Amino acid sequence: MFALLKRDLYLALYSSSSFFYTSSFFVLVLIILPFLFGTNDVQLQVLFKGIIWIGLSLSILLTMERIFNADYEDGNLDIIIQRNPSLETIIISKYITHWIVYCLPLFIILPILSFLFYVSLDSFFLIFLNLFFGSLGMVFIVTFVSALTLGAKRTIFLKAVIVIPLFVPFLIFGTNLESWPILLALSMMSFVLSMYVSAYGLRLYVE
Amino acid sequence: MNELKIEDLTCYRGDNLVLKDLNTKLKSGETLVIRGSNGSGKTTLLRVLSNFIKSYNGKILFNDHNVLEDANYRNCFNFVGQKNSLKDNLSVKNNLKLWEIIYQKNIYYSKLLEDFHMSHLVERDVGSLSDGQKKCISLLRLNFTESKIWYLDEPFVFLDEENSQILIQKIKNFNTNNGIVIITSNINLQNTFTNEIKI
Repeated sequence: MFALLKRDLYLALYSSSSFFYTSSFFVLVLIILPFLFGTNDVQLQVLFKGIIWIGLSLSILLTMERIFNADYEDGNLDIIIQRNPSLETIIISKYITHWIVYCLPLFIILPILSFLFYVSLDSFFLIFLNLFFGSLGMVFIVTFVSALTLGAKRTIFLKAVIVIPLFVPFLIFGTNLESWPILLALSMMSFVLSMYVSAYGLRLYVE
Repeated sequence: MNELKIEDLTCYRGDNLVLKDLNTKLKSGETLVIRGSNGSGKTTLLRVLSNFIKSYNGKILFNDHNVLEDANYRNCFNFVGQKNSLKDNLSVKNNLKLWEIIYQKNIYYSKLLEDFHMSHLVERDVGSLSDGQKKCISLLRLNFTESKIWYLDEPFVFLDEENSQILIQKIKNFNTNNGIVIITSNINLQNTFTNEIKI
């Protein structure tokens, strides 16, 4: 598993533009929406709790093609499966890499963004906690949808239609600052579901 | 001495019967060429032999062990499929580095590329290479493991005369070192490898 983890992180490093684009996209969503809804202090604080979830959802949705599809299309998935006897280790490795490469940069820039939106320190920590647990659950969800639709070409809309309703519980509870235990529970449920369905999806591909 | 035995192999893909009662035996130092028309099941056979496809009837035995039950079998073979397993946006060197990590083996890139006289391409982006050059680089994966069997799916596609001869020589050298090779091909290789079956 560590070899695959290392390989995926190196791959992200070599194509470093990909996580730069995701972070830029996240920042742009956060910058653009206040122009539509107003820019006074109180409004920005309220907006922030909602739009970070929209930004996160869209960023994760846009990068889901890179979980399994890129390796499937160029044939690397065969090598990965041959070298790793357990599909579960492949899936766990993909969770970790995807979170590190596409979610971690968002958490790094989050303090700066929350400062720009006049968010208090107490609120920031709760938002951070919510977003952390929520992002894990969202990564679990996109991973299993990615595995299940492996090989299907030009299906980004289909994937979005499957994924967005599954994101809704995270969005509902994410905007409530006290609900991180619910988000943790949702993420754990997503993990169990994701492991089973992702392994099934990969098995279907291999067969 | 290694031996690969295929006994009464039958495989369905969906409702289609792709392989029917296939029997063959290969010993160390032998190469088998599998020929057949498009869609006849050549690639399926290689994927069955490589343990990617596990639902079939019949038996595949490597040194008298059923490959489905032998955990070490995956380290005994090297499969090079029709896809090149290369990232177009990365350089040749970085692609080789990624393989190096996956295969957990240190490689001298320039020496490796010299096999196909391609050491000058090491810093080039794979996306800018020709299909033949990509195929040659993809075949370099054969050097990453100490395998006993090579499964090569259409390895001569896109290769020019010179590189085809280099590959044939590599296969013959592998045979000399007791390796078993199974190749699928649309090209007639009977003058080079005498052992051939049609499916």
